[in-house]
This record gives sequence, C-alpha cells and structure tokens, in this order.
Amino acid sequence: MSNKADVVIVGGGVIGCATAYYLSKKGKSVIVLEGSENIGNGGSSRNGGGVRQSGRDPRELPLAMYGIEKLWPHLSEELGVDCEYHKEGNLRLGKTKKHLDILQGLTDRAVACGLDVRMVDAKEVKEINPFLSDEVIGASWCPTDGHANPMVTTLAYYRKARMQGVRFLTGEKVISLKKVKGRVKKVITENNVYEGDYVLVAAGYESREILATVGVDVPMHQELLECLVTEAEPHMFNQMLGTAEADFYGHQTEHGSFVFGGSSGLELNNKDIGVKNSPSNTSITAPCICRGIMKYFPSLEDAKIVRTWAGYVDTSQDGVPVLGEVDEVPGLIIACAFTGHGFGIAPAVGEQLAMLITDGTTAIDLSPLRYDRFKAKI
Amino acid sequence: MKRYDLVIVGAGPSGLSAAIEAAKRGMEVIIFDENEKPGGQLFKQIHKFFGSKEHHAKIRGFKIGQELLKEANELGVEVVLNATVIGLYDDKEITVKIGDGINHYKGDAVIVATGAAENMVTFPGWTLPGVIGAGAAQTMMNLHGIKPGNKVLMLGSGNVGLVVSFQLMQAGCEVVALVDAAPRVGGYGVHAAKVARCGVPFYLSHTIKEVEGDEFVTGVTINQVDSSFIPIPDTEKHFDVDTVCMAVGLSPMSQLLKMAGCEMEDNPKRGGQVPIIDDYGRTSVPGIIAAGDVSGIEEASSAMIEGRMAGICAAEYLGYCTKEELEENLKILEDDLESLRQGMFAPKNRGKLIEKTEEGIDISTNLLEKGYISEKEIERYPGVTHKVGIHPVIECTQNIPCNPCQDACKKGCISIGANITNLPIVKTEGNCINCGMCVASCSGQAIFLVDEDTGDGSSTVTMPYEFIPLPEVGDKGFGLNRKGEKICEAEVVSVRAVKAFDHTNLLTIKVPKEYAMKARFFKALA
Amino acid sequence: MGKVIDRNIDIGPFVPAPDDDMLICRCEEVTKGEIRKAVHDGMWTMTEIRRYLRSGMGLCQGQTCSRLVKGIVARELGVSPADLEPATARSPMRPIEMKIFGCEEVDA
Repeated sequence: MSNKADVVIVGGGVIGCATAYYLSKKGKSVIVLEGSENIGNGGSSRNGGGVRQSGRDPRELPLAMYGIEKLWPHLSEELGVDCEYHKEGNLRLGKTKKHLDILQGLTDRAVACGLDVRMVDAKEVKEINPFLSDEVIGASWCPTDGHANPMVTTLAYYRKARMQGVRFLTGEKVISLKKVKGRVKKVITENNVYEGDYVLVAAGYESREILATVGVDVPMHQELLECLVTEAEPHMFNQMLGTAEADFYGHQTEHGSFVFGGSSGLELNNKDIGVKNSPSNTSITAPCICRGIMKYFPSLEDAKIVRTWAGYVDTSQDGVPVLGEVDEVPGLIIACAFTGHGFGIAPAVGEQLAMLITDGTTAIDLSPLRYDRFKAKI
Repeated sequence: MKRYDLVIVGAGPSGLSAAIEAAKRGMEVIIFDENEKPGGQLFKQIHKFFGSKEHHAKIRGFKIGQELLKEANELGVEVVLNATVIGLYDDKEITVKIGDGINHYKGDAVIVATGAAENMVTFPGWTLPGVIGAGAAQTMMNLHGIKPGNKVLMLGSGNVGLVVSFQLMQAGCEVVALVDAAPRVGGYGVHAAKVARCGVPFYLSHTIKEVEGDEFVTGVTINQVDSSFIPIPDTEKHFDVDTVCMAVGLSPMSQLLKMAGCEMEDNPKRGGQVPIIDDYGRTSVPGIIAAGDVSGIEEASSAMIEGRMAGICAAEYLGYCTKEELEENLKILEDDLESLRQGMFAPKNRGKLIEKTEEGIDISTNLLEKGYISEKEIERYPGVTHKVGIHPVIECTQNIPCNPCQDACKKGCISIGANITNLPIVKTEGNCINCGMCVASCSGQAIFLVDEDTGDGSSTVTMPYEFIPLPEVGDKGFGLNRKGEKICEAEVVSVRAVKAFDHTNLLTIKVPKEYAMKARFFKALA
Repeated sequence: MGKVIDRNIDIGPFVPAPDDDMLICRCEEVTKGEIRKAVHDGMWTMTEIRRYLRSGMGLCQGQTCSRLVKGIVARELGVSPADLEPATARSPMRPIEMKIFGCEEVDA
C-alpha cells in the first residue's frame, strides 16, 4: 500500500479520526498514524464525555455552538454507530453565594456570545434534577448542552473513516516532520516515511515534540486528571453536570453507569509511573472525587465504583486550543492543546479542518486559535 | 500513613509462607486478605498432599493452612482479614478496604500473593445457574457445608477436576460423568483411579455441546470431538443433571502487579498474564515480589516454597539478612522446588505424551483414556507383587514426586529410593504386619492390603475409605472393580478408624478368592 | 506489541455463526457475535473492543470474560491470543461503594 496520501494525520485520537472521516468524505486520500497500539488512546478515551458550550471561552465558543447545532444531532446516524449523544442540558451547580457569583460571571459572558444560558434558583434546579442535595442553591443552566460516549464516538469516526478508505496504522510513532522545497511533506516514523500534501498534527502533548522538528512550538503542559465509573444504576437523569467549584463533573450514561471526573488539587504535580498506555492514578484522587459527588448527590453513596482511570489534559498557556495552519510551514496544520475541551468540539474541529484543507477556507473563524498568538506579558 | 517493612497481599499458602520467613528475620509484616478466613485455597483442600516430608506430604491441605497460620501468629505477623486491597500505587502504597473505609499503607517491600481465578469455557447455556467452577463447588462444600447440587457433570480431568469430583461424591452428590476434550486424563492417575472405582464414567475426547434448562440447569449434552477438537456428528450423549462443574484451569490474578507498573507478559505456560520475574519471584520493580499462582499456575506445595523464597528475598532487600544467607537459603528451596517439579507431570512435560515410566514400563493407556488401570495392565508395575499372606499392593503407576509410603512402612515392604519420583516397589521379602499405615499415608489412595487366599476360598482386600456413613463389620454388599462395576459379593470384615490414619478409614472386605486382584471398592447393599 | 499494525489488512468478511448470540461478557451482556462483528469494524485490540462494546467493563472487570474475549478476537484476526495486549489493571480491584471509597481513615 502506498505511503503517500493527500493528507497525513499524526494522531489517531478523536480529532485525527474525525478529520480523517470528513476529509475522506470530501474525496481526499488520508493516512492516519497512531503512535500507541490503540485508536483513541489519549484524552479521547479518558474524558468525561461533555458536549457543552457553557463555560467555554468566547474564542472557542463558536466551534462548540456550531458542532452542537450542525453536527452532533445527526452524528450517530451519519457514522452508523450510536454515540449516545444526549442534548438535554448542562447544570453548573453552586452551593454558596461565591459559587453563584462565579456562575453569574460565566453566564453573562456566554450570553454576550449569543448562547442560551441562564441562572436558575434552588427550586428550579431541583425541578430539573430532583436528585440534587438541598445544599445546592442555584446553578447556571444551558439547555442545549449535553454529553456523548467519547470512546464509542472516537471509534465510530475511526470505523467510518476506515470504511471510506482511510488508511490507519497503529504502533507507528512519528519521530519527525520534514520540509521539502519549502513545504511540509515527509512524516518520518521509526520504521517508515510517509508523504502528504498536507500534514495535520493532532497528537496531543506529543505534538509539541513533533512540531519542534519543523521549528514550531505550542506552549502547553500536561495535567493528570482522573475519572471514575460506577456500576449501572437505574436511570436518574440525562443532564451533563459540573460545579462552580470544579470539584467534579460528569453524567449518567445510557448504560446506567455514572461517569464522573475530578481532581484532588495536586494535578499539576502528580506523578505518573509510566505504565504503558495507561497513565497512573493516585491513591487520593478518586476518594476525593467521591466526597465531592456525595455532597451534591447523597443518594449515590451506595453506587459501586468499578473502575477509575487517569488521563492527561493537554493544557495550553491560555486555556484554549491551538488550531489551524502554520504560515511559515505551508501544508502544516496543527490541532492540539485542547485543554480538556477537545471531545465536545471534535466533530466541528474535524469538519472545519477538512474544509480548510480541501477548500482553503472555514465556516468558523479559527484565527483566535492561531499558534502564534502567544506573546510576552509586557 | 502506617508503614511496614513488608506488606503481603493474600494470606494463602504463599503469602503465609512468605510472612513466616520475613518475620523470622525480624521484619515487621502485615498481611491483607479479602476473605473472612485465611489460608487461601488450603482451607478447602481436604485431601492429603503429595510430596515428601518437606512438602507437608500426607497432611491435609487445611491442616497445613492451620499450621502456617499458627506459625505466622507466633512470629507476630499481623493478619488482617476481610481486608480488600483495592490498589497498589506508586511508592509501594497500598489502599485497603477495611470495614466502611479505605486505609492507606506503605510497605518498604511488597509481596503480591493474590493467587488465581477460575477459567470458564463457553457453550450454549454456560450462563445458566447451576454451571459453576470447580473451585466454587469446593468453597461451597468445604468452607460453607453446602452441597452444590445432586447430580453433577464435571468438565475437566486435571487434578482439580478429579479431586473435586471425589469431594463431590464425599459430600453426597452423584457425579454422572467426567468429561474432557483432551484425549487423555490430565491429572494424576491415582486421583483418576479413585474416582473411576466409585463408578464415575470418564469421557475423554468429549466436550459439552450444550447445557439445557430455562431458569436453571436441567440437563447436559456432550459429544465426542476429533483430534482437532471438532465435534463428531451423532455422538451426543445426554445426562439429566442439575449442576455442571467446570475445572478448566486457572488464570493468575495479577492485576495489582500490573497496576504497580511491573513488567508483564502473556505466558500461556504460566496460565496467562504474569509478571516477568527472576527465579525467586522478584519483579521488575525493586522491592515488589510475586509468589504463588499469581506468577504462574502451579499448586499449593510449590506456592509455599515460592512464598518462602519471596519472604527471604524481601528480608535481604531490606537488610534483614545477608546476601550469603539469602543465597544459601534460596539454594535449598530451589532444590526443594525442583524436586516437586519432577516426574511426568512436571511443568516441563506439560502437553507431552509420555508413554513409558522412568523405569521403562509402559504407562497404562487405559488409565489415561478411561481413568482406571485394566486388570491386564496392573501386573506390570513394581508395586504389584504377590506372596502368601497379607501384603501391600500399590497401584501407583506414574512417576510423581511423592514418597510417604516408603516412610510409613517400618517392615521393609515398600521402597522408593532416593529419587522421589520412582515408582514404589513392594518387596516380597518384607514382613507385612497389616498395620495399615501405608494405606492411610497414600495421598493417592492407591495402596491396598491384600490377602489373596485366606484358606476358605476367599481373599481379603483392605482399602482406604473416606465416605460416610462408614460401613460396619458384617455389612454386606458388593465388591467393585477399578471401573466401579459390581463384580462380586462382599462382606465387611474389619473397619479401622484410628487417629494415626488421619480420617482415612481402612475398610477390609472379604471377597471370593478370584477377586483378590480385582475388587477395589465396596458398595453396601442399598 | 509495539508492532506497526496496518488496520486496513483484509481479514475477510464477517461470517455469521450459529453461536453468535451466546453471551460472553455476562456483566455487560456482550455476545460472541458482537465481539466478532467489532473486529470486522476495525477494533483489533482488547482495549478497543472493551471501549467499543463495554465487554469486561462491568462488575467483575473482565475477570471472567477477558480470556474468552481474547480468544474470540485472536481467532477472528488469525493471531495467537498471546499477541494481543493484556487488559489494563485499574483500582479499585473490587467494586466499592462510593461512601466507602470516599471515606479515608487518616490514622491507619
């Protein structure tokens, strides 16, 4: 099989798979190179499944809104796999006056960008979700937010892209990129060389090392966050949840289990002992998440946790992703540093990048997310 | 957070053995076990163990467990039960569920001795209630006193399948068949023989086609398979059963080691996912050691030796013993382990067809294919000799590492020699006094005392008998042959149940003279 | 392990089998047919199968079925089960109620 394609994508996560799918739909030949053994091995399979707009920075909000309006509603049908998408709202919960102030600020900013989000009081929040504890005194409510199954969605994009002829290679770790006559062309792995007219680097934190080989840097760092999942419980609610204090976030899946993510507060300095393909948990994070959840949902105290896991959030310097073309390296497209927001906007990102590569233009203005936006403070 | 010199996960044979060796050398040791009773599998092993004295031979498993536990307690080892280890984190931190909370501990060294879990095979109906693991059956019977079912079909002819079949019968179940897809019995011939002579038919080269039942098991259909394990048409046999027991191997429960970052491999010879270890159980993570089935499926006797090795390694790792002491001890234990790993069932011989004993005698094909030795075959083994008067007949025909019979006889009738796997030889010059110690000492229940001609046209056969109710002198019934068929009338002439026999009762039956070498079990009149 | 795997190699079509409706993962009720079908959908690692179907993600965390699933996937791919990567191991090793998991004894 040929090692040449219109587009070579570095990274088989949800961004790489989605972009590959939309590119192949537009008739482009695509090769996806995944360094690990598994498709969707990084954040794509380790996140809490949120598909939301509320709480997002105005610079990425348009992508989030576009995806929820245009892509998510038909995604399962389009990909032929149930991605378990629910567009039944997001509650960001508050227990104190200070929390409500934070939520009000977030709400005001989102409303200014045209998002349907509003504050709800204690009574209304209990109407929306009767399982909440009485400690909850208010929330911000975005009825068009939701959640989906990130593992299945990633694999559904992979499946469909593969059916459309995209070539996928796993265990193919990219070492460097190489410019040929002023344009990025070659993608060099441990064993092979691939060539593309365009190269998309969507390899999470590893993007930084790969981009360095063509002299581009994305300022980001990694934070090791954790999630947990319970056994299946009777159906309780369909909203996505978060809190003003960010002590946990999550939802009940279609399967009945609850997936919650959270932190212990030590994430910036957590140690990872580097077990292959699986960042390590700490002994104190999951208990902390449990305590956080029970403050809001006392009735979940008997739900059994069956599994916890950890995953890296690739956090950019300013908290929004780095997306788009690199002027000085023609043909190079970056999509990384998603700062924990990548899953929800992945369909929009994939579709827009495919449009960018195919038509040279995008429906959503990606310029606020350019790679060269980082400047010294003075 | 409380820190110990050594934290051990699992209070089974290897965990307890490790704790003893470590505590002996002055280490502060704590063991966690998720069960309510310590001892792991030992406490459900009511049968006598094979091996030599060093391997606790002829002692029943649960007694070995009691001895280990007593020794650990005396050495100050803390054994915490109902304590589920839920994670092994970086820096050898262990979280344990105890009561209604989570406790954090650290060990300067950690020994993981979590054992193994039962494998399953699938066939239509395998998820029906009544399809259970052999280990589960053993737990129900021997720990909780619950009869798993009334009519049972056993799948698997390895030692677990054979031993549990026997125990099921001891618990009062009827074992309708013993089935294995392999063409030959996988476990010790002596275990097979004691099951077969109770009348259990063996179906080798057979597998379960389906288990029937709507809400629970009501029956099972088996069929024959060819050498590629493909079912042969029109070979179905049906049995009415309420229980199907699976003894199809074990998989190491090595998840904690994986979580701790130990290098792992999938090694089918060791039963599945196991840590990569050196000869003494040390993993790739310094101070984390694996012992027992978690590092490769064997049996309790070797698990105990591995545990001791692990305990001494932990001691040396933390400076509680010298390198010289370590090496000296490991050498002895290695030799011990090596002697257990001898004979035709040694790990290195797994899967091989062995046709001759080490002495050059043909292995009984009938034993391998049907579970019992034919009357023609039995005469060729050195344990089967003839003389006037009472003498032992040892139907031990495979080279296994076991020699208590030699020590049991003080009258020079039985000889194995220095090589523990030799077949026992019954010497005609020996002077048998009918003490019965050899019969009771044989873990394989393969020794009989026979007087081939008592002068009145009869003969007497003394056999081990571990069933209740125990027959009484004067009881009449039938002599059964090695296949479990009624072959003659028989009368109980002696019942011996003395302490030295350790619950192996000796039943002597009188049968017509011509059945002296044929009658091997007794069935009372209904 | 660590090998480059071309996910577009032809493994042949999915052929239905009479025992496809047999349950393999009892906790999550995943059938043999679903597992075989997933392989033909491109799920070639145990991790992908698990994420796609939830097999081995229930109460027993794959203790019972992971060996069975591995065998099915290996057969479908025409490789040896030992060639497939082993399952990850995650705390808690046994299911544990949220109220207990969240209750850390500080003086232990």
